[in-house]
Amino acid sequence: MFEQDDDIVERMIRQLRRPVSIDPGLDARVMGEIAAAAQPGKRRTWPWLAAAAAVLAVMVVAHPWALDSGTSRADAFQFVLVAPQAGSVSLVGDFNDWDPARSPMHTAHGVWATVVPLAPGRYRYAFLVNGVEWRADPAAPNAIDDEFGTPSSVVTVAGRGS
Amino acid sequence: MGIDRVETGDAELVRRIRAGDIGAYGALVARYRDRLGRYAVHMIGDREDAEEALQDSFVRAYRSLERCNDPARFGAWLYGILVNRCRTTGARAARRRRLFVHDVEALNGTPHPDAMERLEWTDAVERALARLAPEYREAFLLKHVEDLEYEEIAELTGDGISALKMRVKRAREQLQKFLREAEHV
Repeated sequence: MFEQDDDIVERMIRQLRRPVSIDPGLDARVMGEIAAAAQPGKRRTWPWLAAAAAVLAVMVVAHPWALDSGTSRADAFQFVLVAPQAGSVSLVGDFNDWDPARSPMHTAHGVWATVVPLAPGRYRYAFLVNGVEWRADPAAPNAIDDEFGTPSSVVTVAGRGS
Repeated sequence: MGIDRVETGDAELVRRIRAGDIGAYGALVARYRDRLGRYAVHMIGDREDAEEALQDSFVRAYRSLERCNDPARFGAWLYGILVNRCRTTGARAARRRRLFVHDVEALNGTPHPDAMERLEWTDAVERALARLAPEYREAFLLKHVEDLEYEEIAELTGDGISALKMRVKRAREQLQKFLREAEHV
């Protein structure tokens, strides 16, 4: 009887050890919440950020947020792109003459990131994946005035105190 | 067996995050999401509440990263945050606990007798787990499902090892009883 009882608990343990599927959007929600809360007092508030991150079906959640650059003219912004399948990713935009060589992104387990200093102003930007695929930032406003016809996004950096 | 075994490289990722590479945190989230999620789902018993607790734990851990004294054991430290968070959620959600079915296949179309049996077993497991006192459920899950040593559980929960052993023993006894009862329903 004891052995039988013990068997039933062991069977239960095997059942409980099976993987449990967690909503894949949780990663994006966590990163969105962290991004929105980064550097209180200096952050750029994009109210739609968390909601947009939560509903992304594709594994692309890129958005800049302010970091402490230690300069008075430009804040450092970190751009993050979750692209597990990508072999390389570069950040290109008005701030680096759209030159992929100037802002290569570094990866850790499919999360690509790079930091660029941005002075107040309006910038168009995009991600260049594997050297050929242009991706706009789905969590940011699209740039509607892209003269090259490729997907791109826009970020506006406000001046201090604004 | 233990938390340290899960992955390597946490110390390097924590170092990069502290240096301003927020994106590196995404790798830690991806690394620990499923394992910690399993614990939260079984401990809380409600998937929505469990995912909320998990998300909140990741965010809290990020905000408190400077207090992670041993970055190589980030996983263990994160586990501690989640265990505490689940205690809070569990207390709040106890009265609205609801059970859920894991086996989607069994719900599609006409259930095969085997599928029905699996479904009933899954339901019995969840119900038995839900009937345990939270401190028994916590000790049982950490010991037998998450496969932690008593020393690790004591570190996470702040409880004594002898008390934890007693809880696991009682949990097993009660689970045997609950599962046998379910068999005869």
